[in-house]
Amino acid sequence: MITYLEAIRLAQQKALATDARVFLYGQDIGSFGGAFKATKNLASEFPGRVLDAPLSEDAIIGMAIGAAIEGARPIVEMQFADFSTCGLNQIVNHAATLFYRTNVACPIVVRLPSGGTSGGGPFHSQSLEAIYAHWPGLVVVTPATVEDAYSMLLEAVNIDDPVIFCEHKFLYYHLKAEKLPDTALPIGKARIARAGRDATIVTHGAMLHESLAAALELTEDGYEIEVVDLRSVKPLDTDTILASVARTGRLLCVSEEWPWGGVTAEVLARVSSEGFGLLDAAPMRVNAKDTPVPYHPDLWAAHRPTASTIAAAARRLLQI
Amino acid sequence: MALVPIKMPQLGESIAEATIVRILFKEGDSIQADADLIEVETNKAMMAVTAPCSGTITEMLAENGVSYPVGAILGQIEVSVEEAKRLGLDEEEKPSRKPAKKRSDTPPAPQKVEPTIPGGLPVPAHAGGVTYLSPRMKARMSELGLRAADLSGIAGSGAGGRVTIEDLERFMGSIENNKITPASPMRKAVADAMIRSWSRPLATVGIPIQLDKLLAHRKAHPAKPGPALYALRALAVALGENSAPAGRLVGESIVHPPSVDIGFAVEAEDGVMVPVIRNADQFPLDDLVSRYNRLVELARQRRLPAADTGGSIATITNYGTFGLTLATPIPLPEQTVLLGMGAGQTVPNWNPKLEEFVPVVEAMFTLSFDHRVLDGGAAGRLLKRIAELLNAPETL
Amino acid sequence: MQQAVAWPYKIRTMSKKIAPVTQSDFVKAYRVMLTSRVLEEKLAGLYRAGMIKGGVFLGRGQEALSVSVGIQLRRGDIFAPLIRDQGGRLAFGDSVLDTLRTYLGSQLGSMRGRDGNIHRGRPRDGYYAMISHLGAMIPAVTGALLARRLKGEQGVVGATCIGDGGTSTGAFHEGLNAAAVEKLPLVVVVANNQYAYSTPNSRQYACTDLIDKAIGYGVASHKADGTSLLDCLQTLRNAIHTAREGGGPQLVVADLLRLVGHGEHDDFAYLDPKLKKSAVGSDCLLSAENHIIENGWQSAEELASWRRETEEEINVTADRVRREPLPDPSEDDWAALSRPEYREQYAAS
Repeated sequence: MITYLEAIRLAQQKALATDARVFLYGQDIGSFGGAFKATKNLASEFPGRVLDAPLSEDAIIGMAIGAAIEGARPIVEMQFADFSTCGLNQIVNHAATLFYRTNVACPIVVRLPSGGTSGGGPFHSQSLEAIYAHWPGLVVVTPATVEDAYSMLLEAVNIDDPVIFCEHKFLYYHLKAEKLPDTALPIGKARIARAGRDATIVTHGAMLHESLAAALELTEDGYEIEVVDLRSVKPLDTDTILASVARTGRLLCVSEEWPWGGVTAEVLARVSSEGFGLLDAAPMRVNAKDTPVPYHPDLWAAHRPTASTIAAAARRLLQI
Repeated sequence: MALVPIKMPQLGESIAEATIVRILFKEGDSIQADADLIEVETNKAMMAVTAPCSGTITEMLAENGVSYPVGAILGQIEVSVEEAKRLGLDEEEKPSRKPAKKRSDTPPAPQKVEPTIPGGLPVPAHAGGVTYLSPRMKARMSELGLRAADLSGIAGSGAGGRVTIEDLERFMGSIENNKITPASPMRKAVADAMIRSWSRPLATVGIPIQLDKLLAHRKAHPAKPGPALYALRALAVALGENSAPAGRLVGESIVHPPSVDIGFAVEAEDGVMVPVIRNADQFPLDDLVSRYNRLVELARQRRLPAADTGGSIATITNYGTFGLTLATPIPLPEQTVLLGMGAGQTVPNWNPKLEEFVPVVEAMFTLSFDHRVLDGGAAGRLLKRIAELLNAPETL
Repeated sequence: MQQAVAWPYKIRTMSKKIAPVTQSDFVKAYRVMLTSRVLEEKLAGLYRAGMIKGGVFLGRGQEALSVSVGIQLRRGDIFAPLIRDQGGRLAFGDSVLDTLRTYLGSQLGSMRGRDGNIHRGRPRDGYYAMISHLGAMIPAVTGALLARRLKGEQGVVGATCIGDGGTSTGAFHEGLNAAAVEKLPLVVVVANNQYAYSTPNSRQYACTDLIDKAIGYGVASHKADGTSLLDCLQTLRNAIHTAREGGGPQLVVADLLRLVGHGEHDDFAYLDPKLKKSAVGSDCLLSAENHIIENGWQSAEELASWRRETEEEINVTADRVRREPLPDPSEDDWAALSRPEYREQYAAS
């Protein structure tokens, strides 16, 4: 069985093996194999191409940009998504603007271990998809399955533009698959994770699995909920979302992010303006509470959406 | 053994739910058909839910003090095979749900409302969602060219009783095999006007008015003015004396009419035209006859000039020409009052002087009005004044 | 495993030893300084006439240092200049034409109207386009050098210029530190011009001399008199050579004075008059001219005629550029991603 984390490791291994332009840069990723072991053994397998960086997110990203200008395809690891904001300037003002300003593309991949785990606390739990999606010039992806973690990372390396790869820490060891995929949906296409009839849940990341559990719970009441896995937050697959809402007439968007200006806000804005005539009820969303992520596991469990809060919201939506 | 549900019946025309007051039988009891099983209280009265058949109560789901909508399942009766056959019951659907009121920590999910209640309204009157049209619904209606009023006959199976897309499609499918003729533009215009007018609370009051003096005046008149013209002048004079009844309610103000322009309904092909006599309070009857006759002709041919229609503050309709003695017509959407006149009939009238019944010619005059602006009293006074004026036709 | 994609890489031979600056080096460098000065005077004039799109930030007084960097880099090196480096840009291969095109907003400029003035660059030619966040280019050049090394290239140098203010940023610290850890051939040239906008050095840092930071980073250091072309040329030659030979990052600090406001919109009223009168306040261009004349390499008249020629050439170019078309918003593809399939599809509003 291959875990989500192992899929990421194998994807990096394949990239290093098949593309001489690829190298890895980040803190503790060399002989130590990375804080989450996402690069285990890669430094010895590919000597000189898996390098330990000093504790300098700005420099790590900036260096990746310079290397990319010179033809490299760096994959950099931020130890936690929460620390990427120390390198925010290089990501959003340098990497994201390079093509627009100079016509030279910037093929870097920035891996962000994202999302909450029990006891993670405010600075080891953040989901930052929305802020990176906000600046033009970035591709932002959120793999929710083992297969997508593998295939989307490989595709990201081949994209000529900067990719923010939001891998979910909660899924690292929880998700397993029997084998790696041969084919995959391209980045930019969402996947119908579960077909349904009465309402559509649009979600991404670890919340996919909470949403599927909620959908299962709702079958007991005779409701069939369709669940859409966004896979990439930017570009957002509006076509698939609208087609699903056309079938069901009801939308619930679920994200582990904070509510203001998050992925749920963008999805609801698009469906409300482009699919107004498809809606039987006002679209609804479920987000984490509008506070920093709490540290205590009991508080954390109430902070983020869970299968039961998602199901309760879906029930309210279905009653309208 | 078959199960027969005990359902909350339709206990009155507008009743949508009832509260359990007393449960007379419990699970395990044997009961006879038509026996009182549960006492309930509605808005209007205390009633009883009776047994639909004989048998044994296997489930009593109703709870004291709790309110259940019409159609809710309150319990189950187990019947013998013979009894089931007697009632003509096939496999009655086994209910999988408890009645609407569920005790739980989270707000309970309301039960899906059943679309038809035996012997009652197609949609429960209390159903909150009956008039709700979602954007999706509106989009579909727009595609089909439907208006909200067209859905009034469709039973809603959605949340709160609202009509769903599936209900609509089913309805459209069911009428496909009927004879279908297109509605003319005139018909569509009238439909639209009536809907807009009906959005107000309308009421009608009426009194019979003796026409003998009017008819005598008419007989002696060289131009033979139509009875409707007499009524028009009477209405004009009365409104000229007090224009408030023809005022319109806009927000919190009564907007008084600027001039006493009175319209009168003329039947034209597949609809009604309304020519207008402007400043009808300022011209005596004699001066209006030729103008009136000309307008009637033009209206009948639907060649009414724009200047001679629109802008009237009240309208006359002579439904007596159809043979009707009484009607409650609907005022135009932009007007507060509509004066209607029925067919004249010779009827006996008590003459106190002669102490006997004498024949008189009488017609019912009705005033239909926007009840937000007028009450019965003001409407009655207006009618009375019109009656006075029609009984002194030489003053018109 | 088979390598599916290989880089193109070149190997260069390394230089042997550092030669002293010659007359020819000096005069060539002076000519670029002159062009830079005249060009910037033209830009200032155009700005006051309201013809420049955006702001104008000039490098008057810093030409000696800037040219010394650009003119001693080679084809294949990487140069990330900053705000006051008109001289260095011209020395490295930028043109008067593209400079004017970018400032005047011609559709034919290298930035195509999408960025302007000193943000211009051509990254594929090793001429990096700065972003406004000071210090950010240091990690970028560091990473570029890392990539070259991974490709197997040797003898490459990456140079970047920054001011006294920029040395306070986190990016400066992180980039220089990372370059030092990796021992990359990075040359960081600090033009210590005494002011960051209106902030004097006394409010910018507390160490005695910026060059003292070198020891903290574990890198080599070089001090230069920023007002002396000769000193700048020689110092940069040493620094670049040492980096190229594998000496790791080189921190160069040159003392001079900014001889203009922060931008052409700023009148530099806060300038301490004592600084203006001191040695650091002397004009490097005048000093270079005097050096040439005193050495008998050219006469004053000849230098004057060079100036006239340069002015003429620049005026002609400016006039030509002013007749060129402006960027057309309806023709711009408004794309921030190079691959169309990843671009967002928003409904037309």
